Amino acid sequence: MLLSSAAMAQTPPAAAGFVGSNACNTCHADVWSTFYKNPHYQSLAAGDRPPAETGCESCHGPGQAHVAARGGKATIAHAFSIMQPKATMEVCLTCHAKDLQKSNIRRSEHTLNGVTCTDCHSIHHSPSAKFLLAKQRSETCFACHSTVRAQFDMPSKHRVNEGFMDCWDCHNPHGTFAPTWRMGSRPHMVEQTAFNDEACLKCHSDKRGPFVFEHPPTVVEGCETCHYPHGSTNGRLLQRPVTMTLCLGCHNGGGTGTRLAGVDIQTAQHNLLDPKYQRCTTCHVRIHGSNASAFFLR
Amino acid sequence: MRMATRTRDCAARALVPAASRLIGTPAARAGGLVYRKQTCRDESRHGRHQCPRHVLPILILMACAGLLPAQQVLAPTGEPVGSPRGEDAGSYNITDSFETGYRFATIGGNDGLYRSDINFGNGLRLLGSTLTIDSKDGHGRYFDEILLTTIGLGNDPYESVILRVHKNRLYRYDMNWRENRFFDPGVAISGGGHLLNTTRLLQDHDLTLLPDNSRAQFDVGYSRNTQTGPGLTTAQEFDTQSAAFPVFTDVRQQWNDFRLGVTLHAAGFTILARRTWEFFKQDNVDNLTGSEGSTEPNDLSVLQQFSRAQPYHGSNPSWLGSLFTNRQRWAVNARLSYASGDGNFALDELATGLDRFGGAANREILVSGSAQRPALAGDFNLSLFPSDKLSIVNHTAVSNTRIDGDSYYTEYDYGTGGLTSLSFNFLGVRTVSNRTDLHYSAKKWLGLYAGYTYSDRRIRVLEAESIPSIANSSLSNFYPQESTLSSVAAGLRLQPVKGWTVNLEGEGGHASGALTPISDRNYHTLGGRTQYRTKKLQVGATYREVYNENAPLSFTTYSSRSRQAGGSASWQVNRWLTFDTSYSKLHLDSVGGLQFFAASQFQTAYDSIYISNIHAANAGARFAIGRRADLLVGYSITKDTGDGRATAAPSGASGVAALLDSVQTFPLTYQSPMARVSIRITPKLRWNAAWQYYGYNEQFQLFSYYENYHAHTGFTSLQWSF
Repeated sequence: MLLSSAAMAQTPPAAAGFVGSNACNTCHADVWSTFYKNPHYQSLAAGDRPPAETGCESCHGPGQAHVAARGGKATIAHAFSIMQPKATMEVCLTCHAKDLQKSNIRRSEHTLNGVTCTDCHSIHHSPSAKFLLAKQRSETCFACHSTVRAQFDMPSKHRVNEGFMDCWDCHNPHGTFAPTWRMGSRPHMVEQTAFNDEACLKCHSDKRGPFVFEHPPTVVEGCETCHYPHGSTNGRLLQRPVTMTLCLGCHNGGGTGTRLAGVDIQTAQHNLLDPKYQRCTTCHVRIHGSNASAFFLR
Repeated sequence: MRMATRTRDCAARALVPAASRLIGTPAARAGGLVYRKQTCRDESRHGRHQCPRHVLPILILMACAGLLPAQQVLAPTGEPVGSPRGEDAGSYNITDSFETGYRFATIGGNDGLYRSDINFGNGLRLLGSTLTIDSKDGHGRYFDEILLTTIGLGNDPYESVILRVHKNRLYRYDMNWRENRFFDPGVAISGGGHLLNTTRLLQDHDLTLLPDNSRAQFDVGYSRNTQTGPGLTTAQEFDTQSAAFPVFTDVRQQWNDFRLGVTLHAAGFTILARRTWEFFKQDNVDNLTGSEGSTEPNDLSVLQQFSRAQPYHGSNPSWLGSLFTNRQRWAVNARLSYASGDGNFALDELATGLDRFGGAANREILVSGSAQRPALAGDFNLSLFPSDKLSIVNHTAVSNTRIDGDSYYTEYDYGTGGLTSLSFNFLGVRTVSNRTDLHYSAKKWLGLYAGYTYSDRRIRVLEAESIPSIANSSLSNFYPQESTLSSVAAGLRLQPVKGWTVNLEGEGGHASGALTPISDRNYHTLGGRTQYRTKKLQVGATYREVYNENAPLSFTTYSSRSRQAGGSASWQVNRWLTFDTSYSKLHLDSVGGLQFFAASQFQTAYDSIYISNIHAANAGARFAIGRRADLLVGYSITKDTGDGRATAAPSGASGVAALLDSVQTFPLTYQSPMARVSIRITPKLRWNAAWQYYGYNEQFQLFSYYENYHAHTGFTSLQWSF
């Protein structure tokens, strides 16, 4: 602590209303005492940055007025708890705009709906091991997305509750570039892989191919054509409990002889009353794509 | 007496752990609201200064600021152990926590589905651990920060290790290692014929050099993803009308990904360039070790010998470049990414036995070829800020993916080669989209936004086939398709009083030339969310509907309506009691036209209908009993009531009607009560015990399979710090 105090004390007070972080310690000892564990402490430790980029005042702005007034939120240049969401974001972007992961933050669903940085991040009192989250890992997201939380409690689910993965394995809460699937419109917050694929393929690489015989919906419309990515009451995150009903959604006999205007009627051998034909993938085993069969048989 | 002499400040410091280390939400921290006896004297010994008196209420508020952990997973235990502020060693501060114990599980019913859904077993585990080492002056010799957390090591089905090592201004290393043992009985897919019992191992390593440098950063990375283990797949022999036999498969797949990048900052611009190389290989081998006969009526086929090797190796190198700048009144960012995928494959399949008519059969299939997939994606964001209240962002995106490949197919009967056919397929998807968003912060309590999206997509499919040994045998079909999408979105955010927010949003869109019947065509979304938050209480409600209604309904159209509503509340009653509860209703109904064959009859009079009404609730309470014990109890339930019917198909229904009725809804109940007690033995040692029950109950049979199970799981553990 003495060392950290010494480091903070090196911060040179300067003009333009900056007083240095040492002054803040006088009253805000609770923040001061553990601030060396905070990633933002680097600005203090560096010791060579201008006052506007050092310690407390790098985020909260010059503190001279606050000190002179002996406290009070109204005298803090950037008092985040009373600032508009957009203003809060702009302060954070002063430094964090250089990060590619945040380059879409101004058009993200969160920003548009008034969700700003401090709604998810707790800069001084974070219980999270990384990222200064306001809550522990995916609990941060569940605080608002309660219906998604319900999906992760379903029998078939991605293992988020188990701590095996996090929401941001698939999503970028700061906004994403336009998806390369589903007309480039929705979903808004799903992160792409380095290969411009849907996030699912980060882990499920075996579904990516390239395959000579692609199943077009998986490439064009994405995995959620057949699967619920968060959780499902059906096995393998499927949207339907029985494979047949899932496939018939598209393979409805509405085709006109092309691959894209609908799917042709199946041949008469596909007798749906025969249990063999009720489980489509028993024969069409390579349903995500095949190199050997146009009908995904091997 | 010693307690009585302690100052309030000491108690306040003791509360920090809960607030700073523990499992986030208010109740978790509430569980940590245990006064630590050692802190004042110990910290004085370590030369720490006294906390000012006014710190106490702040720390109490910190401790109350979260909520009970919503997720109903018992381990690792969330209670704090050890000194909240850690121990000093030289110029470093160290905190640690290790929880080790024995996990048990007793399972009744369908063990396969239990292993698919839960999969906790018996044995000793390092249920969880955390280690942090922080430099107190930011000038550590080799590092300034080490963070290590683990979950489930020692044979839990979900194991993970997260490591960060960071030296200010010099480097930052992040590692994420995960292992998942996944079991799937495959009943829903193939009646068990596609069983999987594999282990997926994921690891990511990222090293950033000069992370704080104002001019340049360099990053290198490596990721590895493997899936190995036994499974079952199916092989349909000896023609396309025969039975499909389950055969053993040895899953062996791996991907290795290498990354190298540089980020430069100059003149207010940031330029990033990254090169990625991914190499993959899939060497699955399928075989049969004994003779199998068909169980299909009137099918005499027998598979006596079967083997299939299908190696597939390739690489996916890619480039990523981006440029961005952030100015007072405008900002620009752009990204350009190009990935070229390439894979080479071969397949050798040999099957002998009897065909479906009982005749001897001997078939070998050889396939070889290659596939490519170049994918280009570019994005350009232009942001304008005419005033402090108004943002205008225009986003243009272009993506172009082309997948093509050829596949040589030869089939041999009794060693006699058939004609080799060559298939060539091409799938091209080009999308151009443009979206403009206006965001206006009218007041602190009012924000508005509106957006418009236009998207144009072109899909081209070329399917060609020829028999090289026969002249003029080539056939090809070309299927182009154009689609456009227009959608409008709008929303507002209100903050009537401090702590209470209301969000309303909606989007409506129309797409022409939808790829599939279930794709978005005429859709709208409506959503609302309200939340009230104080230090001790959080109450929220949310609603969202997504309708894709394509009328009039015909055999080429489809309509679905999804409505999700939920509410949640968390209340920190006092230092020793916290409640957390949530309820969600997830509704889905869909209907689509159908044409199909059944019993040689062409059926056109039926619709594909599916109805799901899921009620999901979660409740938990945490009690701090005295200063030594914490009790957590919880209950979660997911109940799909379907459409309310009592039987899968109405009495008297038969044939096609009975079949379709039986798959229109799938009511089930999945519930899980749990309890966990944690007792502090010493400031550095806790004893924990937990129990969790899982009950899965399907109301109707699906294809004669009942998958119901129940399981008691739990653990007893010691959580310690040194």
